[in-house]
Amino acid sequence: MYGFEALNFNVDGGYLEAIVRGYKAGLLTTADYNNLCQCEHLDDIKMHLGASDYAPYLANEPSPLHTSAIVEKCTQKLVDDYNHMLTQATEPLSTFLEYITYGHMIDNVVLIVTGSLHERDVHELLEKCHPLGMFDSIATLAVAQNMRELYRLVLVDTPLAPYFSECITSEDLDEMNIEVMRNTLYKAYLEDFYRFCKKLGGATSTIMCDLLAFEADRRAINITINSIGTELTRDDRKKLYSNFGILYPYGHDELSVCEDFDQVRGAMEKYPAYQGIFAKLSFGESQMLDKAFYEEEVKRLTLTFEQQFHYAVFFAYMRLGEQEVRNLMWISECVAQQQKSRIHDGVVMIF
Amino acid sequence: MSGSGQRLNVVPTITTMGVVKARLVGATKGHQLLKKKSDALTMQFRQILKKIVQAKEEMGEIMKASAFALTEAKYTAGDNIKYIVFENVDTAIIKVRARQENVAGVKLPKFEHFSEAGETKNDLTGLARGGQQIQLCKSAFVKAVEILVELASLQTSFLTLDEAIKTTNRRVNALENVVKPRLENTIQYIKGELDELEREEFFRLKKVQAYKKKEVEKQIAKNKLLLEEESRKDAGHKVDQDGIIGEQEDEDILF
Repeated sequence: MYGFEALNFNVDGGYLEAIVRGYKAGLLTTADYNNLCQCEHLDDIKMHLGASDYAPYLANEPSPLHTSAIVEKCTQKLVDDYNHMLTQATEPLSTFLEYITYGHMIDNVVLIVTGSLHERDVHELLEKCHPLGMFDSIATLAVAQNMRELYRLVLVDTPLAPYFSECITSEDLDEMNIEVMRNTLYKAYLEDFYRFCKKLGGATSTIMCDLLAFEADRRAINITINSIGTELTRDDRKKLYSNFGILYPYGHDELSVCEDFDQVRGAMEKYPAYQGIFAKLSFGESQMLDKAFYEEEVKRLTLTFEQQFHYAVFFAYMRLGEQEVRNLMWISECVAQQQKSRIHDGVVMIF
Repeated sequence: MSGSGQRLNVVPTITTMGVVKARLVGATKGHQLLKKKSDALTMQFRQILKKIVQAKEEMGEIMKASAFALTEAKYTAGDNIKYIVFENVDTAIIKVRARQENVAGVKLPKFEHFSEAGETKNDLTGLARGGQQIQLCKSAFVKAVEILVELASLQTSFLTLDEAIKTTNRRVNALENVVKPRLENTIQYIKGELDELEREEFFRLKKVQAYKKKEVEKQIAKNKLLLEEESRKDAGHKVDQDGIIGEQEDEDILF
């Protein structure tokens, strides 16, 4: 029942909600980011981060610090937080938490499959996978020689199986372009997640469905823009759009016929939420679109913390954590490459 | 290095002098030509040096820009984008060809890049996010590869030209400081020997002439003595006949 969550939520989820709000309080603020932007060297960054939650992870790094080391350690912290929450969770929160990582799992599976197709070493591939998307049988993926075997041997046991079986027959698996496959899988995942949240009901379903709709629309717009001028046909493009969200179905029809960026902008004029994003960019420029989307996403994610007794705060924390790692990566790279003037182009302040 | 006092060991005859003179002419001509070649090569060298400096500066900037483009791509498409692209790679699209160019007589290697057409598999990378940044990054690095190929080409020609200039200069100096002086000294020596021989001949000639003259003079003196004796005998007879107061008829004096 919407409005009465306060009655039962704390029984199962109260501890973890408190934990996640504690993690959220540890995220870097605008003042922290301003300090970091003033740094001259990576060692200064390490010093500033020593006062934050990342201190125990960065403390043991040897002195010639590399940007990839910073990113790795911060991601490690996020993974540790997630695992801590996952081990304490009960149903349905545990399923919810797992859903959050399926996106990374899809990326990892696709990476290993392409690597095996080009005969790369399995262990190297495993090291390159995203830590949030690891699952137990991932190493066996490299054994499969082609897609059919892959599906038969391994994916039936993993949580990603329904996405493969839903959208692709086994013939398509061999020929389909890797990117198209990745995006089809992701579309199936988003729709599945959407259905699951709807089933949960209450505040969770309202807030999560809103967030997922934004995600789906943003992917639709990105796919449209990035496939302009490539060999992806309009029908294929339409197949990659999810079947929910504000843009469904009329917006998708318009997007699938767009052939350049300004047409996309025109199509988005009817949707006030996205029209605001496009208004930030001047005519013809599309580089800053990704950052504008990140800003909008962060805004929506922080709003979830205003309400209590729902699961969306976990999703929000994971996403905000990823954004923070992205910010730190950008700042460290700008400092390391002496491009301080561009540093504000990439940092999205969270609080 | 041998000094300029050396000369070739030859028999000092006119024919050898002719031969050595011809060699000197050849050496002089060769020296001039090589000097011209050296100047041309040095000019090319300076040009290439200027181009290299320019190319290096440009490369510094382009590499900086491409590294930053990579950062932007990582930001929008996620950190794993590097591995995703790596694993998708099959064969190289941009390849390098080498060929030889003839510059002032020196064969310089030149590299040029060309792209294998048709490999556009990676166009869809980052379809859902960051695709544009990835394409920008790709073009930035393509530019970087182009300028690197050019720089490599310039640097190899720089080294080759350097070698060639050193060799040519070595030859020029050798001709100037060793071969020509040697030949000139040989010619001087031959000339000197020939002069001396001539002088000897002249002296011998003079001596023989003087001897002959002396012989002739001796002969004349002898004849004169004989004549005087005969004339005295005749003059004595005449004096006895006429007495002392005898008037002698003087001969008429004819002028």
